[in-house]
Amino acid sequence: MAEVKLLTEFYHLPEYQTLAGYKAKGGYETLVKALKMQPQAIIDEVKASGLRGRGGAGFPTGMKWGFLPKNNEPRFLLCNADEGEPGTFKDRMMMERAPHQLIEGMIISAFAIGSNKGYIYVRGEYVYPIECLKKALKEAYDAGLLGKNILGSGFDFDLDVYRGAGAYICGEETGMISSLEGLKGQPKLKPPFPAVQGYLRKPTIVNNVETLAAVTYIVRDGAQAYRKNGTEKSAGTKLFSLSGNVMKPGNYEVPLGYPLMDLIMKEGGGMKPGRRLKAVIPGGSSAPVLTAEEVAKANLDYESLAGLGSMLGSGAVIVMDDSQCMVDMLGVLTHFYAHESCGQCTPCREGTGWLDKILHSILEGRGRLQDIDLLIKIADNMKGKTICALSDAAALPVLSFVTKFRDEFEFYVREGRSKVKGTTYAEMHH
Amino acid sequence: MPKCTINGKEVEVKEGTTIIKAMVDAGERIAHYCWHDGLSVAGVCRLCMVEIEGNPRVQIACNTTITEGMKINNTSEKVKEAVKWGLDFHLINHPLDCPICDQAGECGLQDQYMEYGKYDPEMAEPKQKKKKVVDLGPTVVLDSERCILCSRCVRFTEEVSKTNELGIFNRGDRSEIGTHDGMPLDNKYSLNTVDICPVGALTSKDFRFRQRVWYLKDAETVCNGCATGCNVKVYYNKEGFFRVKPVYNENVNGYWMCDEGRDIYKFVNRETRLLKAQVRSNSGWSEMPAGAAAKHAHELLKTTSGDSLALVLTAQYTVEEFDAIVSTFVNEFKTKKIYFWINNKETFDNFDGILLRGDKNPNTKGLLKVLEKHGITATWNDLSQGLASGAIKTVVVAGPENQAVFPDFHERVKELSKAQNLIWLQAGKNEALMSLTGNVWLIPMKTFVEKDGTFINHAGLEQKFKKVTTVVSEALTLTEAALLMSGKNLAIPTAQPFLPLNQRPDQVELEARKKNEFVFRRGSL
Amino acid sequence: MFKLSEQGLAEVKKELSRYEARDSAIIPSLYVAQKENNGFITPEIIRYLSQVMDIPESRINEVFKFYTMFNQQPVGKYHVQVCTNISCALEGGRELAHHICHELGVKYGDVTADGRFTVSKVECLGSCGTAPMMQVNDTYYENLTPETAMNLLRGMK
Repeated sequence: MAEVKLLTEFYHLPEYQTLAGYKAKGGYETLVKALKMQPQAIIDEVKASGLRGRGGAGFPTGMKWGFLPKNNEPRFLLCNADEGEPGTFKDRMMMERAPHQLIEGMIISAFAIGSNKGYIYVRGEYVYPIECLKKALKEAYDAGLLGKNILGSGFDFDLDVYRGAGAYICGEETGMISSLEGLKGQPKLKPPFPAVQGYLRKPTIVNNVETLAAVTYIVRDGAQAYRKNGTEKSAGTKLFSLSGNVMKPGNYEVPLGYPLMDLIMKEGGGMKPGRRLKAVIPGGSSAPVLTAEEVAKANLDYESLAGLGSMLGSGAVIVMDDSQCMVDMLGVLTHFYAHESCGQCTPCREGTGWLDKILHSILEGRGRLQDIDLLIKIADNMKGKTICALSDAAALPVLSFVTKFRDEFEFYVREGRSKVKGTTYAEMHH
Repeated sequence: MPKCTINGKEVEVKEGTTIIKAMVDAGERIAHYCWHDGLSVAGVCRLCMVEIEGNPRVQIACNTTITEGMKINNTSEKVKEAVKWGLDFHLINHPLDCPICDQAGECGLQDQYMEYGKYDPEMAEPKQKKKKVVDLGPTVVLDSERCILCSRCVRFTEEVSKTNELGIFNRGDRSEIGTHDGMPLDNKYSLNTVDICPVGALTSKDFRFRQRVWYLKDAETVCNGCATGCNVKVYYNKEGFFRVKPVYNENVNGYWMCDEGRDIYKFVNRETRLLKAQVRSNSGWSEMPAGAAAKHAHELLKTTSGDSLALVLTAQYTVEEFDAIVSTFVNEFKTKKIYFWINNKETFDNFDGILLRGDKNPNTKGLLKVLEKHGITATWNDLSQGLASGAIKTVVVAGPENQAVFPDFHERVKELSKAQNLIWLQAGKNEALMSLTGNVWLIPMKTFVEKDGTFINHAGLEQKFKKVTTVVSEALTLTEAALLMSGKNLAIPTAQPFLPLNQRPDQVELEARKKNEFVFRRGSL
Repeated sequence: MFKLSEQGLAEVKKELSRYEARDSAIIPSLYVAQKENNGFITPEIIRYLSQVMDIPESRINEVFKFYTMFNQQPVGKYHVQVCTNISCALEGGRELAHHICHELGVKYGDVTADGRFTVSKVECLGSCGTAPMMQVNDTYYENLTPETAMNLLRGMK
């Protein structure tokens, strides 16, 4: 097995960014086909394809669409381009290299679910991707691909870009909806779920960039063709963002089920000279870390990783070699979650801060032996009790790092310095 | 009407009721901070955990609607663990301010801690530091460190007072309640935020540091600040009254009251009261007990003809008192010259849409009803003419209890002092009255907390209230004054002349005190 | 007295009617105001926007203080934001940030004496495959070494 370039086939062509270049490679032909279909037929095709949300949660897309009310109530299609999960950079590439791919996917999806208005919520730091999208939107409007009576089909769809302002929590679907509504980006209580009451209390579907782009190929080739790649429960291809201590970091599109070790060693070019693999986070920083032995057993699909106690998540594969101190790296993550917690509910707001403070006490040599068990207790009690999953996302790395690399933590607490690097925190960071 | 089981008890509820409302109504204990029935649901404190059969995870009760056959419990070990840790997360950055915090004794965190507390604190890191003693405006002080970010106050300013002063700024554990850039929390309902704050983050400037709540008794009564007639609870002890809080009434005031009503206790305390009657004659002022002054006034009144006698009433007394004095004047003194002193004609009909009304008297409708019953149709002009011409020689005035809302007080006193004989019945003292000349009787009256009675509010709703306690024992009610002025004697209620201390209705019971003292309740050590 | 330029005001007005909810215009308007005020926003500006947009100050202030891209303190002409989250940290992102600070002679968050630079450590910028990297104002500079980073910065006038 190797890379399968389904979505990324023409990403190497600079003109693919433009309408002309996109059309030259078959762009918008699937839209023509879709507009002649029955909307329900498209939903059924997406359901049959087994497409699962590519943003991180992996929820079956067709099923999510099926939760919308079957009436004429106006509904919204929102594209989640907030891409804040550390290690993930695939959506950025997609928006820069192929903005029309996303737009076509959105028009087809909107037609299927009966939505006449959509937004692409892009994180504030992605200035260049937003420029690319805005240019592409203008081209699409000028060509009658957006707006009223698209290609004479009678279907109206308006699409706009909204720029965020720097908050990881706006990647959570209801956090994003809150931000789009002009409130702070704080997630909302569920129930009611967005498909029933979302943006401005109207039915709303929130999908990731990659998910929406994939819809085009499912409609073009049919569900069965899409299923030729991937596994029974994890169908199709996915873009994986490989980063960290590897020779060739980057985005790679592979069929789901691809062995994780192959992605790192073959596509990723393997370890740097003289280094051995130590640990891998397979699905973005919120996924539990895997040891090198576990990596050898892992395939890049939802079931295999879940079976190993981790998750596929956003598909961001972060590789750590034997020169890294796990206590130090966990400190980077706890700082991130404490910084990004929205502050609404108590376990997350106080828990993320507490975890970070304990980690930094340990790193600065003031750790106590009971702190290690305390970290586990706090993380355990942050799980499953909050409005959104950020609390779980903060707790899982702590639990997995401390459990699987406990010896490093104990060493650090006893000796006041890193087992791997030998130096203290102050020495590590001047 | 779905039926469900809560902690083993079967309960029937209205369609759409949340679990927490059903539990609170059924008298079940459930920990909660951010939920309030008068505000929207926030679901942020994560303490109201319940276990629902069929659901592996604990759920919050404030956002879950009851469906038919739901089996709910919050007594299992799983729920107790969840609540214990939920409380612990609230406490890790909370400052240890109990010794100086006003909320002690009625604090949500203290109460929960005694039920579920972890007596072994595991937080060994430095706590988040935030601003303390922030002057939020004319009525409220903020302490950001104590704030548990339940967002009740923010939702209040958004949904109830609709003034949007408060917000929660910053993310994560740097979050802080506040107003923008020192702008004040300045609306007419601001002190409700102090009531709903479960901890001592928002405190009332008026009440701050004045009294520990376990030394206060409380009793329900009706506010006498305006014609809305909000139901309130007054807090007092031997030293006097200290504060006023609203009591829920579905039809009158919901959960809230206005800031003006908070001050009504000031007119009741001894410092502002007329303690003894003052009688002025040619030889100057002399002091005497209230009853004696009323009898003294009777000597004058029994020889006064009905044509030269007038009665002026303010709508601040109870319906029973109005009935007593009006029938005395109509039947005994044979005069129908009874006048309604309206204090603010121009703003009388104002209503701000929430609770405040322009009619600053609690019993206008009551007075009008009594006047109608006795066929009184006189207008103030008649009185003015009568005084100017000298036809009216004796005036009896039932003056306002809440003098602050009578902007024309001094004017009226001047006008009424034209009469030869002025008998002024009032609860509070006022120098304008002490500077009168002629024959004057100033007789102290009892305030609304010292008597049983009925007020009729703007909508015609009759609200009965009971006596809370006695502040000035010598003062008279209007009924008693009417009796004495007509020459009768006061009847001493013989039903219960001497009651042992623990049976007197205005003495607080030991059981009620227990709920304010922690010696009677501990968690497990 | 801060006032938006005619253009800025026109843009704010446009945003107010662009979305279904007027409040959605708060984030775009804060960007406009920040640009016209040398990269940061003061409480006075919040009051001004509140009057212009007819939205309570506390609502605008909540949004302002929630998001990291709005600055409460002045920043230099070039805001150097170095990613120090996990993928970049694995490839030396934190050392790069330290190096830049040291070379420019400034502490995190402060403005250099000549007013040109402010250095901040930020969370994941979505450029993990080209770590370590930094964002200077609106542009990403990727695959950096301490030397190439300093060369780039020295070239920014």
